[in-house]
Amino acid sequence: MSAKEAVAEFVHDGDIIYLGFGASFCSFALAYELIRQGKKDLDLVGGTPQPQLQQLLFASGLATRTRSGAITGIRGPKPGRIWDLAEQGAFQFEDYSNLTCTLMLMAGALGMPFIPTQSFLGTDFLKQENLHHKHGFLGDGKLRVVEDPYSGKPVVALPALKPGVALWHTQRADEYGNVQSWGMYADARWGLWAAERVVVSVEEIVPTEVVRSDPNRTIIPGPRVSAVVHQPFGGFPGEMPGYYMQDGAMLRLSPDAVPQYLAEWVYGCADHDEFLQRYVEKYGFLWFRGFLPKHKQQPIGSVDYGYRGVHGS
Amino acid sequence: MSYTPQEMMLVAAAREIAGHGVVFMGMSHPILAGSLAKRLHDPDIVFCTEGGVIDWEIPEDNPRAPIQVTDPVMYRGAAFCGDMTESLGAGLMGRSLYDLACLPVGQIDRFGNGNTVVVGDYNSPLQRIGGIGGNMDAACCAPAVFWLVPHEKRRFLSRVDFITSPGYIDGPGGRERAGLGPQGPNLIITTLGILRLDTPDGGKTGSCEAYLDAVYPGVTVEEARSQTGWDLRVSGDLRVLEPPTQEELAMLHRLDPLGAYLRAEPA
Repeated sequence: MSAKEAVAEFVHDGDIIYLGFGASFCSFALAYELIRQGKKDLDLVGGTPQPQLQQLLFASGLATRTRSGAITGIRGPKPGRIWDLAEQGAFQFEDYSNLTCTLMLMAGALGMPFIPTQSFLGTDFLKQENLHHKHGFLGDGKLRVVEDPYSGKPVVALPALKPGVALWHTQRADEYGNVQSWGMYADARWGLWAAERVVVSVEEIVPTEVVRSDPNRTIIPGPRVSAVVHQPFGGFPGEMPGYYMQDGAMLRLSPDAVPQYLAEWVYGCADHDEFLQRYVEKYGFLWFRGFLPKHKQQPIGSVDYGYRGVHGS
Repeated sequence: MSYTPQEMMLVAAAREIAGHGVVFMGMSHPILAGSLAKRLHDPDIVFCTEGGVIDWEIPEDNPRAPIQVTDPVMYRGAAFCGDMTESLGAGLMGRSLYDLACLPVGQIDRFGNGNTVVVGDYNSPLQRIGGIGGNMDAACCAPAVFWLVPHEKRRFLSRVDFITSPGYIDGPGGRERAGLGPQGPNLIITTLGILRLDTPDGGKTGSCEAYLDAVYPGVTVEEARSQTGWDLRVSGDLRVLEPPTQEELAMLHRLDPLGAYLRAEPA
């Protein structure tokens, strides 16, 4: 399926959306496509949604809400347009942390209505005026301090979080949608398992035998995946472990540069292939090649799941 | 030899981190100081970062500190690569892995509470800063925390503008009343010296107040007091720490070849 088709079919206006953690495993191919298609009223969630995407989604008005552990889109003395939107009530946010976002997604994935944690205890987030803050949208629905029924001690009960859709990028999948991945997953395992619809773009489509020779590498099985999009360099300008490093300079946008970036690199490109082509035309292939790893690491020992002995066959 | 206050802070932090076993490394200054500690003082330190990499080794042919939380440099030679359920969940909340967390912070106060989210009022901030990331999780759950923070009056407050990262909260017993476990010994390592927190038992007793325990060469007590927003008490046997060695400075710059930390303004 193409990125265009997958985003059109599986991303809905009003979705709670998970886009990965930081610049690893972040599908810029799918995320830029959802901006092109103008999917709106999105609630961007996760421990640390990739900062450039935060800026693009918030400033363009497509994501009107966010709950995360790093709302970098409104950082700094002059956060610009995004802060103006917040002041007008057109952009709302709730601060969490990397752990608490992971736990809420985990609860969503496991069907737990809430999940207890010690994180948040002792912080000023628990105060009523901060729970019901001016730029928020959850109020008491953000978290509750409850009594642990066993010890009687205070504990924070976080609500389960179930994204409507997760968009993600990783190394490979097979034709059945079994997705294999390596690197630090951060909160992705739970972001994917919690989401109602899962769309993954991959560097490579491999024969299912490759997947089935190393099933521990599968992060989410085919039946939980709505669509796989074959898009080499779909995580660029972010990084993909084993494939390419990130272009950090391109990812760092000043608030003033957002409209120009959107025009040139998102709306100005029909799809991610055109984005890549424009990148190479502008900066040169030698520069682009500089992001490819010098050291390709092969595992020293191979993995053997050998199963058949004399007994118990 | 000339060196900057920031370099001295990192060198002092590296010396303190050495010998602490399994360390949860915050991004920015902590991971650079930790890399220096591992490289020069204590190769047995086990490094962990929040994304899910546990026991990362600094590659011999590319000896640099990670420059962001998902930096692929951490994959080479790591012993474990999982997710935040493990690095933050089991490791911090389950208290099953770390001896220490080493964290950056925007503001810090008298009771060692940190603020990483906002300058001014939460509802109408003068500025939104840094970000929470795993800072709150580590402050709530880690058995001990070393804070790295430039010693400036705007950062050293009697009470932080907003507690995102609890230390001893409002003093003795504060953590227990909030439902948190004991924590310590904590340190605040600054650009002028090192502060300790006055509690023998992780926040149950003692004043739980930060006091000046050591200064760097050429730093006066008056200077430290003038950059602190409360009446800073000073240890009876105040230490003056050794300046950085040539070796420490050279390695520090080698570990940050792009100047990602040494040339950047802290948040």
